[in-house]
Amino acid sequence: MREPASITKRLILSVLLFELLAALALITAVTVNEQRAQYKVFDANLRGTSNVLFGSVQDAEDADDSIILELHSLTLPKDAVFRVTDESGKILGAAGDLPELSLKPESFQRAQVSGRSYRFFMLTGERIIDPGQNGGVHHHVTIVYGLPDGHVWHEVLESVRFFTLSTFVLLGITALLLVWLIRRFLAPIHELAGKANEISAIDWQFHSPESARQFIELRPLASAIDKTIARLHRSFEQQRRFTSDAAHELKTDLAIVKSSLQLLAMKRRSVEEYERGLALGLDDFSRLEHTVQKMLTLARLEQPLHAGAQSCRMDEVLEEAIYQGSSLAEIRQVRILASPRTPATTPLDRRDALLLCSNVLLNALQHSPERSSVEVSSVIVDHHIRLTIRDHGEGIREEDRRFLFEPFYRGDPSRSRKSGGTGLGLSICKAICTRVGGDIDIANHPEGGAIVTITLPLTASSSEPQLSASLKA
Amino acid sequence: MRLLLIEDEQRLADNIAAALREAGFAVDHAADGVAGSQLAEQDVFDAIILDLMLPGKSGQRVLCDLRRSRHTPVLILTAQEDKESVVELLNSGADDYLAKPFDLGELIARVKALIRRSKGGASPVLRVLDVELDTIRQSVTRRGLQIDLSPTEFRILEYLAHRPRAVVSKRELLEHLYDYDWEHHSNVIEAHVSNLRRKLNLEGTEQLIETLRHRGYRLREGLL
Repeated sequence: MREPASITKRLILSVLLFELLAALALITAVTVNEQRAQYKVFDANLRGTSNVLFGSVQDAEDADDSIILELHSLTLPKDAVFRVTDESGKILGAAGDLPELSLKPESFQRAQVSGRSYRFFMLTGERIIDPGQNGGVHHHVTIVYGLPDGHVWHEVLESVRFFTLSTFVLLGITALLLVWLIRRFLAPIHELAGKANEISAIDWQFHSPESARQFIELRPLASAIDKTIARLHRSFEQQRRFTSDAAHELKTDLAIVKSSLQLLAMKRRSVEEYERGLALGLDDFSRLEHTVQKMLTLARLEQPLHAGAQSCRMDEVLEEAIYQGSSLAEIRQVRILASPRTPATTPLDRRDALLLCSNVLLNALQHSPERSSVEVSSVIVDHHIRLTIRDHGEGIREEDRRFLFEPFYRGDPSRSRKSGGTGLGLSICKAICTRVGGDIDIANHPEGGAIVTITLPLTASSSEPQLSASLKA
Repeated sequence: MRLLLIEDEQRLADNIAAALREAGFAVDHAADGVAGSQLAEQDVFDAIILDLMLPGKSGQRVLCDLRRSRHTPVLILTAQEDKESVVELLNSGADDYLAKPFDLGELIARVKALIRRSKGGASPVLRVLDVELDTIRQSVTRRGLQIDLSPTEFRILEYLAHRPRAVVSKRELLEHLYDYDWEHHSNVIEAHVSNLRRKLNLEGTEQLIETLRHRGYRLREGLL
């Protein structure tokens, strides 16, 4: 496995790399500059010594008014190479082997002398002997003077070495400082991570640390964690409530079944008593079965759907649901008024669509007072079919509205299981709608009673002809 | 013994009430918290069986309200199993609890134990002079001789035995032996007591039950 990348490491390495590059550039610049300065000094030295040599050219005090080089009072470096000549090419004085040079006056040249690098300077000048008598005798003196320049390079390297050494020491100190500083600056991130790490399924408390809120870079992260935790907590709580409610529901049903059988077994009973007891026990079992079935349905509907796998005609489904509800409507003396139905195809499984329609319809019938009506209508709006089912019952309480689609929510607690069924019907409806990107909503009609609005998308290929059909209808 | 059952699940309530009645209890039933709370305030119940999830008023609140004035033993029926809620329940005054789905036999046994303890005796066998009552087997012996009693007679004797030396009025006896329609039984109670007295009256024994005119009945002193 690859080692995880570290921002700290990267930051430090890039800062150090840049520093190193800067140091290298600086060292080069310093080397060039140092070399130039050293040569300047060296050249001044050459020029100075040449001048001294020129000064040492004196009158020979002979009849020709010739000149000689007087070196007694002069100490020259042992490895110095020079030659002093007059205008006729006569050597007035020399030391060392002077190589062939193409020097011009007042200029420098480098050359090899017995394997060593030398730098030469040429000085020319006029020496006038006895200037008082007829303007004197003019002698043109040429001086070529050279010294080994190896030590110049040595000096340059020495100073560059010192400079380089101090730069790297500084670099090291910077690296340590950087590590310490970056650790310090990143501490709020570690603190934030630590806090986030403390969150568990039992303890959902998350307070972003003060340090995280202090830095603008960390604020979005802290608030994102905050929101995510809140969202997760909500859905976790929902799940937990569902599990606990489901357990409660199942245990109650089980308690009934168990107590029915135990009651029957408490003593020897007559055949009639056994028959009655068994019938009741079977009813209790059916209810348990019903609850389990609804839970399984809800669980199935909460699985994601394979798109485009199924479709059904909503108008046909609605007709079937109304047919199924007609017997209950008759018993309760409620009329079902259905407006002309719009043909429409939705991407729902036919059984799910029927479950949805009949759940909502039966709910409306159950909440309808005698001799009232339930009105069912459908329209097509914007590639969606909108079904509305309205009853004339007592309506819903506004404070319940938000929770009506939550599993096992029964609204008014005084309406217990007897009237409310399992409390899963509306959750199942919601799950059916949400799975295909539709929606279901329940509200109070301004003129009384509840109105359920179901919005479902139409199957893409079928929406156009349906639209014209709905206009005709 | 008269019990109050507060349980909103009709089928479960039916079964529990039937089983308790078969075990010799008088049972009143309330289907929601409000009615249950009102009934519980009357001091006629020897024990209360209380469901926690109740419409109208939660079992928890029914219990708290009851505990302000009454010490009637309360057995809680709950579908919640976590230890915290059980601890909370016991702390707020419940005497016992059973998790759903429970065993009817266990429920009856626990109710009997609760009543026994609340009346001050831990043993299921009550002794009055030379009479022994086994509340589990519902049998009575005097000087080792088995005495055959009807269920009502046994319940009368059991109730009196739980309250030795106290004068128990006819009304109190009725209230604790029958459920809400006890008034229908008021004429027969004297007949039951007289039968009971006759059956208990063996040769050479003292009269066990005293009748105090206009006041009620009392078991003879020097008991237990």
